[in-house]
Amino acid sequence: MSGSKLDVVLKDLSIGYNGIPVVSDINVTLPAGKISVILGGSGCGKSTLLKHMLKLHPVLAGEIRIGGKNILELNRHAWACLKLRLGLLFQDGALLGSLPLGDNVALPLKEHTRLDKKTIQDMAVAKLALVGLANYTHLYPNQLSGGMRKRAGLARAMVMDPDILFCDEPTSGLDPINSVELDHLLLELKDRFNITIVVVSHDLASMRAIADHVVMLGDGRVLFDGSMQDLEKTTDPYLRRFLDRIAEERTSPRLKALPLDPSMLKLNCAKYMASYGERE
Amino acid sequence: MNRVSAHCRSRQKRPMISKEEMQTPPSSALRPFISMGEWGLPILSEMGAMFLFFLHAVSLIFSSITQFPKAVRQTYFIGVKSISVIALIGLFTGMVMGMQLYFALSLFGADGFLGSGVALSMVRELAPVLTAIMITGRAGSAMTAEIGVMRISEQIDALEIMGINPMAYLVSPKMTACVISFPILTCFFNLIAMFGGWLTGVKMLGANEGVYFYRVQQSLGFEDIYGGFLKSLVFAVVVCTVSCYNGYFTHLRKDGVGPEGVSQATTHAVVMCCVLILVSDFIMTSLLW
Ligand SMILES: Nc1ncnc2c1ncn2[C@@H]1O[C@H](COP(=O)(O)OP(=O)(O)O)[C@@H](O)[C@H]1O
Ligand SMILES: [Mg+2]
Repeated sequence: MSGSKLDVVLKDLSIGYNGIPVVSDINVTLPAGKISVILGGSGCGKSTLLKHMLKLHPVLAGEIRIGGKNILELNRHAWACLKLRLGLLFQDGALLGSLPLGDNVALPLKEHTRLDKKTIQDMAVAKLALVGLANYTHLYPNQLSGGMRKRAGLARAMVMDPDILFCDEPTSGLDPINSVELDHLLLELKDRFNITIVVVSHDLASMRAIADHVVMLGDGRVLFDGSMQDLEKTTDPYLRRFLDRIAEERTSPRLKALPLDPSMLKLNCAKYMASYGERE
Repeated sequence: MNRVSAHCRSRQKRPMISKEEMQTPPSSALRPFISMGEWGLPILSEMGAMFLFFLHAVSLIFSSITQFPKAVRQTYFIGVKSISVIALIGLFTGMVMGMQLYFALSLFGADGFLGSGVALSMVRELAPVLTAIMITGRAGSAMTAEIGVMRISEQIDALEIMGINPMAYLVSPKMTACVISFPILTCFFNLIAMFGGWLTGVKMLGANEGVYFYRVQQSLGFEDIYGGFLKSLVFAVVVCTVSCYNGYFTHLRKDGVGPEGVSQATTHAVVMCCVLILVSDFIMTSLLW
């Protein structure tokens, strides 16, 4: 691993689509050489934050500093160089559908290096082996399960040995054994290669296993930003609810708010299938 | 003093056109121009955007050595795989032309000119246009759909993050392939069509074989061949640019999102290609000959 450690600093950042903010006023430092976990309920803007951090969408306001450089002001060449040191795992893998797995993972090497075919092939298989997919190089993405696609996406994100690895929900859709192995893989990457890892997750067990630093999003803002220890000690009611997985009462408020009679929730389908009934 | 400055301020703030004036409907004399602008300006701006898209794609054709194998693969898909359908279309077009021209020319006892008629109409007009329209249907729509699906499933974003320029990866090799394939396929169309004309005109209807080939050879000048070649190049650029552009910006479409956006983009691209092929054909014909 060549390059120095890179950190990510977000300053007064507002992100969103078409001028409508999803999360505003983000002031967060994701420390170098550590694993930062971005937590938050579904739909609160975690993936949005990740994509904006990598300039896939224009930010509304603020600065994004990676390794001290404001990436929004970098020229094209500098950004292209920096990009080669970043890896991103998309929420659904985003593998190229027309290439088999091996070629998908080998693609960045083919495009950016002058290594010979055999070496590239070996490196791709080695990365796929890290996520337990070494035997699937010939399969196409549509022949894989969601969890396998995600792991393959991770292999592709790692193939250029990035200095920062961004992962969007790496463990969702994985069985417990695979998700523990993936946690170990991330910890190993951090310990051995000192890379900065940013993980979006709402898998609490995984978060407790890997997180050094936690950022919690919600309500269109940052609710918590600090170390894992601080988070465990927090007394904020929403955070506690999230951490302890407590539903407020046994019947969740959503069920109560339903305008329907609860008995309607379980429709008696047979009642509406008169024609089927009569046939007997 | 205070009052004066307040007065000045209010004067400065007053807009050049008052609100009432802006809200009154424009006089009816202006209305045709307004609707023309509403209709024409978006088209013009789209054309401009497509032209820039084209320049961008061309500038990346030689950006890296890895472009070469991609261009070869695309040429195989766009060019080689179109050969059979081009042959079929060419054969039947030539056969129809042979028949129709023979009937028409023999009315004046001029059936010796059958060769000239078939050769000129093919080389100048029909071969470039029909080839371009056939490839639009076969490969153009496929290009739009492929790039559109990649756009909506974040594959283009993934390329971007991997530091692979999606324009260079997806569009430029297709541009190279089109520019290579169109003239060759057009040429092939010409040959097959002349053979088709010979089949019906000479073998079926009994025109003189020697005269047919003599006329084909004698009537074709360099500027006919050159004009047909130029047309096929222009059509290659038009088809590739329009198809790829529509796929690449599928996500910005107003008339559909997701899979529907891709289908709209494909339809739009095919219609637009055909229209632009015929319009540019007319313009080039009137300029060239
Ligand atoms: N392309 C888009 N255009 C507009 N709004 C979007 C887009 N993608 C996501 N959103 C909105 O942004 C919010 C956050 O989405 P997302 O970041 O995907 O959530 P999550 O935290 O579950 O990853 C959601 O309210 C979603 O509706
Ligand atoms: Mg998400």
